[in-house]
Amino acid sequence: MTTNNKSTLVKLNNLQKIFYTDDVETYALNEINLVVNKGEYISISGPSGCGKSTLLSLLGLLDNATAGEYHLAGHDVSNLDRDERAAIRNEKIGFIFQAFNLISDLTVSENVELPLTYRKDISKEQRKQMVLDALTKVDMSHRANHFPSQLSGGQQQRVAVARAIAGNPSIILADEPTGNLDSKNAQAVMNLLDQLHQEGSTICMVTHDPRGASRAQRTIEVFDGKIVADTVNDNTAAISV
Amino acid sequence: MSIAIELKYTARMLLKKPIFTALTILIVAIGLGLTIYAYSILNNLVFKPMTLNGDTEIVAIEAGFDYNHQFRQRPDPYHLQLLDKQSGLFEQLGFYLEGTTFAGGANSSNAKLAIARKYNATYVSWNAFELAGVQPIKGRGFTPEDFHNGAESVFVLSYQAWQRDFDGDDNIIGQMVPLDAMPSRIIGVMPEGFAFPQFAQIWQPLSSLGEGYLSPIEASGRSVYGMARLKPGVSFSQVEDAVTTFNKNIIPELKKDFIWRLTNDVYLTVMPYKHASIIQYYNVFIALFVVVFLILLLACINVSNLLLARVNERLKEVAIRVALGIPRKRLIMQMLWESIFICITGGVLAILFAAYGLEVSNAVLQQNFSVQGDKPFWWQLSLDNSAYMLLLCSVVLMIIITGLIPAIRSLSGDFNAVIRDGTRGSISKKAANAGKVLVISEILLSCVVLVIATILLVTGYSAGVADYGVDTDKRLTAQIQISPEKYPIRRNTEFEFQDRLARSEVLYKLKSALEVMPNVDAVAMMSELPGRGEGTSYFEIEGRPAAVYNENPYSNNEGVVKDSWHAIGMEMIAGRDFDHRDRDPDARSFIINQSIAEDFFPDGDAVGHRVRRVHRNREPGDWSTIIGVVSDTFHGSTMRSSSAAYNTYSLVDSWGPMRMSVAIHYNGRYVAAQASLMDAVNRVDPDIGIYHIQSYDDLIKQPMLLMLSVSQIFLFCGVIAAFLAASGIYAMAANSITQRTQEIGIRRALGSPDGKIINMFMNQAAMQLIIGLTIGIGLSLLLTSIMTDTIVISETSYLLGMFGVPILIIFMVLVATFIPAKKVIKMEPSDALHHD
Repeated sequence: MTTNNKSTLVKLNNLQKIFYTDDVETYALNEINLVVNKGEYISISGPSGCGKSTLLSLLGLLDNATAGEYHLAGHDVSNLDRDERAAIRNEKIGFIFQAFNLISDLTVSENVELPLTYRKDISKEQRKQMVLDALTKVDMSHRANHFPSQLSGGQQQRVAVARAIAGNPSIILADEPTGNLDSKNAQAVMNLLDQLHQEGSTICMVTHDPRGASRAQRTIEVFDGKIVADTVNDNTAAISV
Repeated sequence: MSIAIELKYTARMLLKKPIFTALTILIVAIGLGLTIYAYSILNNLVFKPMTLNGDTEIVAIEAGFDYNHQFRQRPDPYHLQLLDKQSGLFEQLGFYLEGTTFAGGANSSNAKLAIARKYNATYVSWNAFELAGVQPIKGRGFTPEDFHNGAESVFVLSYQAWQRDFDGDDNIIGQMVPLDAMPSRIIGVMPEGFAFPQFAQIWQPLSSLGEGYLSPIEASGRSVYGMARLKPGVSFSQVEDAVTTFNKNIIPELKKDFIWRLTNDVYLTVMPYKHASIIQYYNVFIALFVVVFLILLLACINVSNLLLARVNERLKEVAIRVALGIPRKRLIMQMLWESIFICITGGVLAILFAAYGLEVSNAVLQQNFSVQGDKPFWWQLSLDNSAYMLLLCSVVLMIIITGLIPAIRSLSGDFNAVIRDGTRGSISKKAANAGKVLVISEILLSCVVLVIATILLVTGYSAGVADYGVDTDKRLTAQIQISPEKYPIRRNTEFEFQDRLARSEVLYKLKSALEVMPNVDAVAMMSELPGRGEGTSYFEIEGRPAAVYNENPYSNNEGVVKDSWHAIGMEMIAGRDFDHRDRDPDARSFIINQSIAEDFFPDGDAVGHRVRRVHRNREPGDWSTIIGVVSDTFHGSTMRSSSAAYNTYSLVDSWGPMRMSVAIHYNGRYVAAQASLMDAVNRVDPDIGIYHIQSYDDLIKQPMLLMLSVSQIFLFCGVIAAFLAASGIYAMAANSITQRTQEIGIRRALGSPDGKIINMFMNQAAMQLIIGLTIGIGLSLLLTSIMTDTIVISETSYLLGMFGVPILIIFMVLVATFIPAKKVIKMEPSDALHHD
C-alpha cells in the first residue's frame, strides 16, 4: 500500500457497511482499506451493486460506516455527530452527482451559492465573487440567472461542478458524473475534471465508463463489497490489496 | 373487457393500502354526511317553502322586526286586508295571534284536566285551515258563523292534545271544556303533526279576543300576524314589489298612533313563513350554512390531497403506461376509477351518518323545547328527495374535484425524465406550488370554521353560566295565571282599581300560603324573573332631558310583589323597599338597580329623583319617584341584544297582572317543592293556572334554546372541522415535505445543518400561516359582524375565537411541519438523495 503520510488526504481502515433488512445482513462493504493522497485523481469502478456508490457515500460522509475508521485530512471523522459531519461536507467535500441534483426552484447562481450560505466565515460579497469565479471556470457565468430547467443536461452538470468547487473543497467526489450525458457533453465534463485535477484538486470518481476511468491516475476496482484491485493507470505499478 | 381490467386493478390498488383507503372514504363520508345533515336542517327549518297541502307558498306578512325588543311586530288587520285588495296576489289571506289558554280546572268533567292545563293557543281567522289546505280528521274546522257576535265559544284540538289529555276519545266532538274558566265546545281535531302556523295545541276564533278584531273598513289600532297563500303563478318577488309599493303609498297616510310600528321607515314586510318565524336567528343559520359549505370544501381538499399524494407515488407507473401508449382518455378514467369508488362508498356512508345525526338532533330539539312545547311543527328533521339529490350532485362534484385534479396532474409531467432517471423533473415545482395553495386553503377554511364555532359555543356557554345577579341554587320557578274570568278587570269604571287590587291579593295569598310551608324559605314574584324578560324603554331623568328621545337612558321594567328580593338573592342597597304607601297608583314609586344608580347618579343621590318613560311619537309617561336601589341583575340572556343590565321595578299591586313568574327558594327535594306549589295553588284558588315549572337554571336557558341547539350543531361541526383540519394540514405538510426529500438530501449533502433545513420549512409554514390566517380571520370577522345583528358575542368568545383558534392552528401547522421534516432529516443524505 503506497501511502505518504505528509500528503494523505483520505485514509480508510477496515471500513465496513452492513445493511439490515429484517433478519438478513447484507455486507455492502467489507474490510475496505484505502489511502487517497492530496492532488490524486482516482476512479472507482466495478459492476452494479458491488458497493462503489456506497463507498462514495461513506467517503462523502453521506452515510455512516458500520465499523472501521475514516480519517479525512488527518482528522478522524468516523464518529462525528450530524452537524459536525454536515460542516465537513460543506467545507471539505464537493459533490457531483449523476442526476446533477440541482434544486429546480433556485437559479444557477443560487444553486452554486447554496453551500456557501451555510458558512459563517464568508461574507456576502465574498460569496458572490466565489460563485462568479466558479461559474466562470466552468464557462456558465452567462447563464447565472437561469433556472436548471432552462439548461441542457451538460450545462446542468457544469453548474453542478461549479457548485462542487465553489467552496474550494479538499476533495471532489463525483458519482457517475457523465451517466446522464451524451458523449459530447460527457467529454466536456471529463475535460473539466481533468482541468480541476491539473489545478491541484483531489478527485474521487465512481464510473462505469472505462474511458472515463482511464483518465484517472488510479483505478480502484470494487467487487462484492471489497477492493479487489488498485491500479495506477500509467501501468507503471499494480498494487495488490 | 378493458374496464373490467381497470376495475380489477383499481380494487387491487385500494386493497394494497387499506388504511389509506379507509381514511379517504371516512373523510369523504364525514364531509358529505355533514353537508347533507346541515342541508337537511336548514332546508327543513328555514329554506324549504311552506306549502302544506297546497301547491303555492305560504308567506308571512308582518310589521318590521323590532330588534330592540327582539319582537315580531304586528300590523293592523285593516292594512293587511287593504294590501290583499290592492295587490290581488293572494289566494287566501289569514290572520292569527298566539297566546296561552288554560283548559280545564275545578269544573272540568275530564279528570286529566281537573287542574287546569296550559295550552299554546293560536287565535285564528276562520279560514286558517282552508289556507293551510288541511282539514280536521274529526269534526269540522271554523266557519264564518263561529266568529259572529254571540256565537258559541268553540275550539279545535291538536292531535297531540287529543291523545294526551282526552285519551284519543272517539266521542270528543261536542264535549265542553272550560277555557280560561269559560265553557267551550270542541268542534274538531286536526291531523297528527299539524300545529300550524307554529306550535298550536288548540285553535280558537280570533273573535274570542274581542269584537270587530278584523275590521275591513278602517284601522282599528289592533294588531295581528298575517299569513297568505300566493295565487298560482305569483312569484315571491311580485309580492315583495307589491308590499314595497303599498308601504310607499300608505306610510304618509298613517296616523300618528301607527308611526311607532315602523322600522327603518318600513311598515309591512313579507317573508317566506319559515324565515319570518326565525328572523332573529336567520343570520346565524346563514353562518351555519357557510360554515358547512367550508367544511365540505375542507373535505374535498383533503381527499384531493390524499389522492394527489397517491398520484405522486404512482408517477413512475403512469409514465410507463404513457410510454406503452395508453390513450389519454383511458389514463384519466384509470385515475378516476379510484375516486369514483371512494366517493360512492363515502356517499353511502354519508347517508347513514346524516340520518343518525338528524335522529339525534330531533331528540335534542324535542328535549330542548319540552318545557314550553313551542317547537315549530315543521322542525321535524329528515332526509328528503332534495337531500338525496344534493348528495348525488356532491358525489359527482367530489369525483370531479378529487379525481380529475390528480388525473390532470398525472398527465402534466415529463414522463421521459421520470422513466430515464426516476426523478420527478420539472413537475416538482408545480406540485410544490399546488401543495402550498392547498395548505393555505386548509388553514383559512379551518380558521373560519373553528372561529365561528368557537364564538357561538363560548357565547352560548357564557350566557348559560353568566352571573344574572341571582341565586339559582334550590330555586324552583313557574308561571302562574290568574283566571281573567274569575277576576275580571272592569276597565274605565269606578271598580277598576279595586279589581286590580283583587288580582294582586291572589298573588299575595299564594305567596303567603307557600311561605308557611316548611320546605319553602321565601317566594319572589315578578312579571319576569332575572335571566328572563328583555326589551328596553327610554326614560328621562327630571331636569336632564335629552335632545332626542333615544339619547335618554334606557332600562327594562318589571313588576314585583312586595318582599321578593331576598328569595332570589337580591338585596336593597339604598332607600326603602315597596310598602303599603306604594299601593296607591298615584304614588308612582320606582326602584332602580345599582348600575343605573351608579351610572346616572354617581353622587349616590338617586333616591328621591323623578323619572318618566319617553317614546318616539308618544306622550311621555307620568313622573315616578325613585324610592330605592336594589342589587344588579340581568334580564334576558347575555347573548341577546335586547337583554338589559339596567333594570327598574314597580309594585304590581295597582296593576293587577294576570300572569306572573314565581321563584321559590326551597329546602329539601325539588319534587317536594313542586308538590308544595301545587298544594298552595289548590288551597288559594284551583283555577290558578300553573305552567313552565322548572329549575331556575333551566329557566335561564330557555331564551337560548334555539341558539343552544344551533351551538350544539356548531360544536359538532367544529369537532369535525378540527379533525379534518388537523388531519388535512398534517397530510398536506407531510406530503409536501416528502416530495422534497431529494432536495433535502442535496442540501444536506452540500453541508446544510439540520436546523437550517427545519428553519426553512418552518419559515415556509409561517408564510402560509400568515396568508391563510389573514384571509381566514378577515372572513371570520365578516361572518361575525353579520351575526352580531342577532346575538351579543361575549368578549371571552371573541378572544378565544380570534386569538385562541389562530394560536391552535399555528401550533397544528408548525407541529404538522416539524414532525415530517424531522422524519425526513433523520434519513441519511445518501438515502434521501435516492429517495423515489
